[in-house]
Amino acid sequence: MGNANPAGLGPASPLGGIRPIGQAGDMLMLASLDALMLVALAGIPLSALLAGHRLGRWLLVTLYVAQLGLLVTLAPDTTAHSSRLAFSLLGNPIGWQLDALGWYFALVTIGAAGFAAAFAAGEWGEVNGRQGLSLRWLYGGLQINVLAMLLLLSAADFVSLFIGWELTSWAGLILMLLGGGEAIRAGRRYIVYAIAGGMAVFAGLVLTYAAVGSLQFAALQAAAPSLGTGQLWAIVLLFVLGFAVKTGNMPFHLWQAPAYAYSPGPASAFLGSISARMGLFAIALVAFKLIGAVQLDRLVIVPDWVNLRDLLAWAAVFTAILPTFVAMRQNDARLLLGWHGVGQGGYMLLGLVMADSLGSAGGLLHVFNYATYQAILLMAVFAVIHRTGTADLNRLGGLVARMPLSFLAMLIGIIGLAGLPPMNGFVSKWMIYRSLIIEGMPLLFVATVVSTLGTVLSVYKLLHNTFLGQLRLEHEHVREAPWSMTLPMLLLCVVVFVTGVAPGLVLEYVAIVQQTIGLPAVAYTLGGIESPAGTLDMLWISGVLFAGFGIGALLFYLMGGRSKRVHQLDNYAGGHFLTADVRYQYSDNFYAGLMHRIRPWYRDSFAWAESALVSALGAVSTLARGFFEQTNPAHWAMVGTTVVMTWMMWHALV
Amino acid sequence: MHWSELAIELTLMPLVAFIVGLFMVLMMRKIAARLQRRVGPPLLQPLYDIVKLFSKQTQTSHGLLHEIGIVMAVGGYVAAETLLPVPGMNGVAEKGGMITLLYLTMIPSLGMALGVGQCANPNGSIGISRALTAMLAYDIPFVIVIAGVAMHFGTTNLVDVVAQQQAGGIGSWGATQMPLLALAGLFALQGMLGKQPFEIYVAPAEIATGPMVEMGGKFLGGLFVMQCFQLYTAAVLYVTLFLGGGENWITFLGKSFAVLVIPMSIAFLFPRYRTEDMITMLWKWPVVLGLIGLVFVGS
Repeated sequence: MGNANPAGLGPASPLGGIRPIGQAGDMLMLASLDALMLVALAGIPLSALLAGHRLGRWLLVTLYVAQLGLLVTLAPDTTAHSSRLAFSLLGNPIGWQLDALGWYFALVTIGAAGFAAAFAAGEWGEVNGRQGLSLRWLYGGLQINVLAMLLLLSAADFVSLFIGWELTSWAGLILMLLGGGEAIRAGRRYIVYAIAGGMAVFAGLVLTYAAVGSLQFAALQAAAPSLGTGQLWAIVLLFVLGFAVKTGNMPFHLWQAPAYAYSPGPASAFLGSISARMGLFAIALVAFKLIGAVQLDRLVIVPDWVNLRDLLAWAAVFTAILPTFVAMRQNDARLLLGWHGVGQGGYMLLGLVMADSLGSAGGLLHVFNYATYQAILLMAVFAVIHRTGTADLNRLGGLVARMPLSFLAMLIGIIGLAGLPPMNGFVSKWMIYRSLIIEGMPLLFVATVVSTLGTVLSVYKLLHNTFLGQLRLEHEHVREAPWSMTLPMLLLCVVVFVTGVAPGLVLEYVAIVQQTIGLPAVAYTLGGIESPAGTLDMLWISGVLFAGFGIGALLFYLMGGRSKRVHQLDNYAGGHFLTADVRYQYSDNFYAGLMHRIRPWYRDSFAWAESALVSALGAVSTLARGFFEQTNPAHWAMVGTTVVMTWMMWHALV
Repeated sequence: MHWSELAIELTLMPLVAFIVGLFMVLMMRKIAARLQRRVGPPLLQPLYDIVKLFSKQTQTSHGLLHEIGIVMAVGGYVAAETLLPVPGMNGVAEKGGMITLLYLTMIPSLGMALGVGQCANPNGSIGISRALTAMLAYDIPFVIVIAGVAMHFGTTNLVDVVAQQQAGGIGSWGATQMPLLALAGLFALQGMLGKQPFEIYVAPAEIATGPMVEMGGKFLGGLFVMQCFQLYTAAVLYVTLFLGGGENWITFLGKSFAVLVIPMSIAFLFPRYRTEDMITMLWKWPVVLGLIGLVFVGS
């Protein structure tokens, strides 16, 4: 290790477009991508068939293992693997191929789906199925999402990209609507945003076709340097805004948290950990791989001071900060995590738009890291819901002794989310911090740390209000979640820990992705980053940390008197002996002092703007309906025609 | 470096930190005593206190996490000391750097928060909510300081930061080059150490209603040890960033103790702020100072 360029890799192909097929190796690979798609497709009817039975659900889990295996045989390098699936539209060849960028996101997608499927396979599916949840739709929807995402991730031209984009958007809705009640309102809001984003993407596509005359990726890649600034502005803005709706970047952040949070457990874990990242994938693809960082820097807002990348960086950093503090106010654990999901997306975009080797690697690595710990956290919350029936942070507490494994999973998850060593979230955030400092952007650095500190506060509240503090009497006999639910969580904990201690395992692929999208590859080691301006070696950091814990444990357990453990309900508060039925858990408005100070800063201006827009659209549609419902529309048609004809005659005469 | 040398360094660094920390606690009490016209405790009093706390007969544990919290609080600092270069010993400082150190020192706080949370005492939970809020208040100016120092020296490696300052003499020290950031750092230090006017989150004067409410015996003893490490870490970090680190142990310890005299003297002259006033105070003055300091570093 210690090599920036993993063995055997040449420089990134400048065009990276469709490669000629013909070599024997390529034929094998070609078959693999098709096989992967076919298995994913077959998974949909199989889900409908098998999801009703426990054994069937475990078989569906093995189907995800098979998909993961097929994906691994496509091991990424800087070439792309094509699919036989292809057709022609208006003379444009439409096809699919998977490059390293798509592979990396596909890995997280299939992994997340597999873990979600396993989480629901045992008792969770049994119980929720009895309570009326359609497991066929749940498993089918999960597989449809995976297939749609695979189609998006292996898009080889703008048409296949748009097809994948729309399929992904609508597939997400299937999982969201399953929750019923709140979820339906959230889903409706989501789809309005998604359609608006999709229209922006479509407009970008049309504009690209008009400017370049082709819908092939390679055509835009070749033409980007010669595009006029105005054209480039329009194309980039339309695509990036359209994609940013999906990532939930500010100002498009309102839909995401409730839409993901109110889905059924496994669906929520899947959507929360990967779904929004499709937007980041598309931004990396179009803005960086096709158009390129050099071309982006032509888009200057204030000469020599602010360009588009700066603007995006600031939008990203506000996305990292504000939703974090919104998360802190939530009393529903699912919403709290949902809002953090929005905020963490900000880190990824921030890292990516840095477009240097360290920052962009941090942003891309964060996609993987975030997906692993967010899945754990959502699963832990749904495990608690499974046992206690609530995610209300004011109605829980003290479950640590009842559900120790779920507690452990959530603890590792929050250390990852808060970005503290030795979990993987720290590494990706560290790379972004370092990049911001070295690139001379201290304000952005400080802003990201503000977000991280806010996250520490918020996740402690989540952990405290769920597992620490007073145990409620009605939860005295709560049992640990069944192994079918704890095992996926704990396996993911191993991933979070191992990729935190040895981030080189993932950075190897991140470096290839960077080369694929034309960014400088990061200089990584197994333990982290090798750099003259400051190294990070997590093997050592974790080593001394655990040695420190060891010394702390020796001091505590070997020295001094023996401690005597009292029962969890044996408490007194401030000298008052309390019985267990008196509720004194400190949970509501947990950071009262902080909120007292920063509450005036919350003005809900985004929610206000959204409702203003909705009202304005409502007014327009009322007017339009009024027009069509006129008893005599012909009258208006005549007036209109007369006006147009008068205008035309006027022009003809003058 | 031979592995045995490294092993010795990794053992010595936390040990020295603990012993120096004990004397720092002593100095703090002596300053308080002198300002209040008392004699103050004898030389070994901090050590006696730890021995006393550890050997108490009543040691009430509220569960495994209560214990692990103390282990994390002490262990996190033991680990952090090996990332903090001292004269003649760099330990693993070059494997991490200042950002890693900043985040590593949050582990003990997290440990304490977990331990207190397990105790199911609402006063403890309120204390943790205040302590975390306080962290949000003082870490923002402190992070501005870190950013400025890292940009000024062009590295996040603490060993390089020390080397550059020692090569250039007093004129190249962080404090000479970035006086505004050094001042902002002092403000942040006051909050970080939890000294008056920012001590409400520790609530040392009302132990039965503060975060320490369920901490007795060696639980409190462990937190006492943590305090020794904390004083040492804060002082040494400040010396490393702004006062040229240590050329030798005499100047190094001299500077470290001198740095602590400032917050401690201020502490016993002031009453206390509420947590939310602490936010206002720390987000206003040191942040403004730090941002102006950053402008100078950048230009």
